[in-house]
Parts: sequence; structure tokens; C-alpha cells
Amino acid sequence: MSKKILVYGAGAIGRGYVPWLFKQTDTKLYFVEKNKNLREKLLKFKKYNTYMTTPSGYNCYESKFEDCFSPGNEFSIKYDGAITAVGPRQIFDIKDNLKKLDCPIIFFENDSKLPNKLSKLTKSNNFFFGIPDVITSNTAPKFFLNNDDLSVVTEEGETFADETAKNIGGKIKYVNASELKKQWLAKLYIHNTPHCIAAYLGYVRKLTHLHEGMSFSNIYKIIENSMIEMGKALINVYELDRNFIDWYSKKELSRFSNKLLFDPISRVAREPFRKLGLTNRLIGAAQLCLQAGVRPTNIITGIMAAFSYDNINDEDSNIKILMDSLSPDDFLGLIINIHPHEALYELIINDWKTNEEILNDIRNGR
Amino acid sequence: MEDRLKTAISLAVKSGKLLKDNYGNLFRENQKESPRDVVSEIDIISEKMIINSLKELYPNDSILSEELGYFQKNENSIWIIDALDGTVNYLNNIPMFCVSIAYWKENKPLIGVIYNPISTELYYAADGLGSFLNQKKISFSSKSFKQSLSAMSFSGKAFSVENRKKEFKIFGEVNDITRGCLRTGSAGLNLCYLSDSKLGLCIGKANKLWDIAAGIVIALEAGVTVNFSIIDDQRYLVDFIAASNQSIIELKANIDLNYLKLI
Repeated sequence: MSKKILVYGAGAIGRGYVPWLFKQTDTKLYFVEKNKNLREKLLKFKKYNTYMTTPSGYNCYESKFEDCFSPGNEFSIKYDGAITAVGPRQIFDIKDNLKKLDCPIIFFENDSKLPNKLSKLTKSNNFFFGIPDVITSNTAPKFFLNNDDLSVVTEEGETFADETAKNIGGKIKYVNASELKKQWLAKLYIHNTPHCIAAYLGYVRKLTHLHEGMSFSNIYKIIENSMIEMGKALINVYELDRNFIDWYSKKELSRFSNKLLFDPISRVAREPFRKLGLTNRLIGAAQLCLQAGVRPTNIITGIMAAFSYDNINDEDSNIKILMDSLSPDDFLGLIINIHPHEALYELIINDWKTNEEILNDIRNGR
Repeated sequence: MEDRLKTAISLAVKSGKLLKDNYGNLFRENQKESPRDVVSEIDIISEKMIINSLKELYPNDSILSEELGYFQKNENSIWIIDALDGTVNYLNNIPMFCVSIAYWKENKPLIGVIYNPISTELYYAADGLGSFLNQKKISFSSKSFKQSLSAMSFSGKAFSVENRKKEFKIFGEVNDITRGCLRTGSAGLNLCYLSDSKLGLCIGKANKLWDIAAGIVIALEAGVTVNFSIIDDQRYLVDFIAASNQSIIELKANIDLNYLKLI
């Protein structure tokens, strides 16, 4: 009998990557999508193309699904499992929906704390963390979109999830807590941190796709050095294996440069204030470096690039208003919540002018 | 408009620093209208700093301020400022006061910035942009007014001696019918807390326009219904009620609010 898997969010990961996990299995997919326009497009044909990049080009998979519900209308079916890929802020909007499901639910939300947070809020115990170690664009190159405007492009990658959720099945490595933590630390700091820095630097250079920025040597060098900083920190603080770190870093540099992926900078750079949270991938990463005795010089350059992210279409577009209104001291204190007695504050202030010059050079193509 | 918002944020934070640096150090108290309506020297210094900057940046705009009065240029383009809303709190070392800067054009509230330098809460809003607390966008989520904490602001000195009891009657009835009614000493902060859904209802009787002009913008942009009316254009006095539409209807059904002159 077919398994029935419910997928919250028909965006990049939900629509582009999740179907590949269940491609070889007898599984029926159901989507929940709040975007009415996207939902109607999906329901028109009940299939779309998702492309996976390979060394020689793309593999195409015609993903067929059973239904696509608006939130709240998904409960008429008994599911064997669910996956969420809606975004770490948006997941709180569907907490009551998740509470109604009694199957295991894996969160592909790039925040390892969310399953616990949501469990406490809903008093549910079927929420588990998962890591799709993959970059998936929420769009595709024009030549694919011309045939099917729902096309998306993803990389091939590995996916890890809490072993307790293994009944969901699919091409997922169900691992113990220790292995999941190792993979998460690498994903969080060797992938997420440099990935968003690459996006912010690419935005400074007024580029559209992530790989375009990686072709500039000054941007590439900052990304590579930020990975080195993070790698040292992970070895010093969490005793992660150096060979694993080196392998992971090399893999990530290659992924960020993948010319087939067409990953939009606006997707990776979105919501800079979330990424600048005290424990998140920029400020949190820099603090981890300092804890490890590593000076996060290049990560601070990335932080400054995030401060200057002035995309008016972004949910956090007020960052520009605040940067333009406040002195560096006030911006750091009132908005970022780091203060003069902290080492990171000192470093950001000391490097402020140097980083402005670095960003100006990138902006002007020097 | 974005330039004016940036100016307002910058000046509110600078002015707030002046207040914070002198918090706990009383300069001089002058009796003005009532024992509660005292003014400190730092209030005036702070206000002058804001006014001088605005005059330099926007020489054709009018400026209405609490201490230094009205600088009339173009009455359709006006800054309304209170360099220290919550003076009594400030003078008594109660950390609930703020700088309030608003910009209204053709009587339409367009920009509001309120900054409490002790809590470091920076509220700001602009027409069409939304309301924010520091980096975070805020929106008002209404609940039944009976389940809400409320706040009322009315003058330390009776607006009308013969009607003084009416103010306290409304205050008492709102207190009893909701989860309590606060009188915080800062109408501007009341409106901010309402915008951020900490409060569910705010009422003001004969409030000074400079106390609430910025808060009105922040509340409106957060999705609050603000019913306000200037009841004395010589003394810039305003009556208002701010809440969800439903709460206002329910409140009017439960309490006689005729003493408030609303639209």
C-alpha cells in the first residue's frame, strides 16, 4: 500500500527537492500551500518538472502529486508522515495544523530548535528535525520555465533526520542524535554562514544569482576565508574532525559556484534580521569563533554586507532605514543587540571603515 | 518621506541619549500648569536640539512643540514633537518616558517615532510602510476588550473642573470591565504598547497633540482603529479612542463615552 506524505510548503525545498527523496518509493505526495496563485497553478496539471544538477547537466523528474490544499483543508486524509519546508518564521503560522496530525513530522526548516519550540507550544511529541543538505533554487533558468513555469532546480545532496522519524522512509539517512548534531553544526556554520555571506556580497555587487558572485576573486576569497574561520571554531569548540571539515568546506565552495543552479540571491539573503540574530548564522557564528579564539574577520565583513542589504522587497527592508538613521554604535546596540563591553562589538566597530572600503570595492567591481 | 522618517529616528535617538545621560539628575523644576506638569531643563535642551535640526533640514516646515511652541511656516507640513513625554515619570526616576516625533501633512498623520532610551524600545512607522519596534515589524492583534489590559490618559489638571468626575468615571468603568486600566503617564507609550498588542484599548481625554501625534501613526500603521478629534485647536487638545473596531463598538455599548468628543 502506498505511503501518504504531506508536504507543507511548495517552495524551493518542498516542491524542488522533497519529491526526489520519495522518487523510488511507492509514495503519494500531498502539498499544503498558502500562496493561492501557486496552489492554483499546481492543481491545474497536478505535476511539474524538478531538475537535479549533475556534473554533465540536469536530470529531469516529472513530479506528480495527489493534491495541493490551502492550509486547514488537509485533514481529510490519514498520512503516514509529514514534512515542513515553509520557513522558520512561517512555521509558527501552521502550528495549529501540525498539532492536528498524529504522524511523524520532519522539520526541514534550517533551525534545529524549532521542533522543541513547537512541541512546547502545541504539547505534541511527533516533531523531528531534519537536514536537507542541499541547495535548491526556488526557480529555474528561462529555458526550463518556458516549458513549465513551475520548474525548479535542485542539487543532489544527502538528507539527514532524527532516527525516531524513520517510518517516513524515503531517501533520508535516519541518524542518532550525535550524528545529527555533527551534520547540523557543519550545515549551520560551514554551509549557512558562508552561503548567506556569499548572497550579501553578491547583492552588494548587484548580481542576481549566487554563483555569479563566486566568480569574482575578492568575493570567493572572503567566502573561503569565512569557511576557514568557521572550521577552526568547530574544531576548537565541538572537536569536529578536521578531515570532515575540510571535505565539507571544499564541497560547499563547489556548490556555491554551481552555474547550473541559478539560486537567487534574494532567496538566500532574505530576512537579514533573522540571520543577524544573536544565536543565528552571522552574529552567532562570529560569537562562536570568538569563543574558540578565532578572529572572525571575514565573517564580520559578511555581517557588514548584511547590514547594507537594502532590497525593498524583503520583509526586513527596514534595515536600510535603520542603518541610514543610526550611528554604528546605536545600530549595534538598539537593533543588533550587541554592546560596547562585548568583544564582537569592538571588532565590528574597529573594522567598520575597512569593511566599508571592502564593500565599496566589491560594489564598484574593483 | 523616507528621508523624514530617517531624520525622525535619528533625532529621537539623539534626544533620548540626552534624556538618558541626565536621568536621575534633576536640573530645575518650574511650575507650569500643574504640579504634575513640570518641566525640566533637559526637556528644553532636548527639544531645542530637535527643533534646530528640523529647521535646518526642512526650513519650510512648521514645527509644533510642547515647550517652545509653534513655529509656523507651512501649516500643511508640520512636525509635532515632544522631547519628553512622561515628564513626571522622568523626574521621579520611573523609567517610563519617551521622545515623540511626528510628521503630519495636510492633517494626515504620516510619520511617527517614539523612543524610550531606558528600555531602548524604538517604535517607528510611516504611512504605508507599517509599524516597527526596533528591527521587528509589529501588528495589532485584537482580542475581546474584556480580555484586554487598557490604558487611559487624561490631564493632571482637570480639563474641565465641573466634569472632572466624568474622567474618573470612565477610567473606573473601563478598569472594571477590562483586565484593568492603567494610567502610565505617557500617552505616547500607551499607543505603542497598544500597537504591539500589549494593551488592547487606549482612551485619551484632552491629551496634548504632541503627546499622541507620533503614537497615532504607529497605531494606525499597526492596524489599530484610532478615532480621534481635536477638541481645542488653541491648546491642541485631542480626545481619542484606539482599539479594534469590534472593541470600540462593544465598549460604547457598555460604557457611556459621550464625554469624549469623537468623530
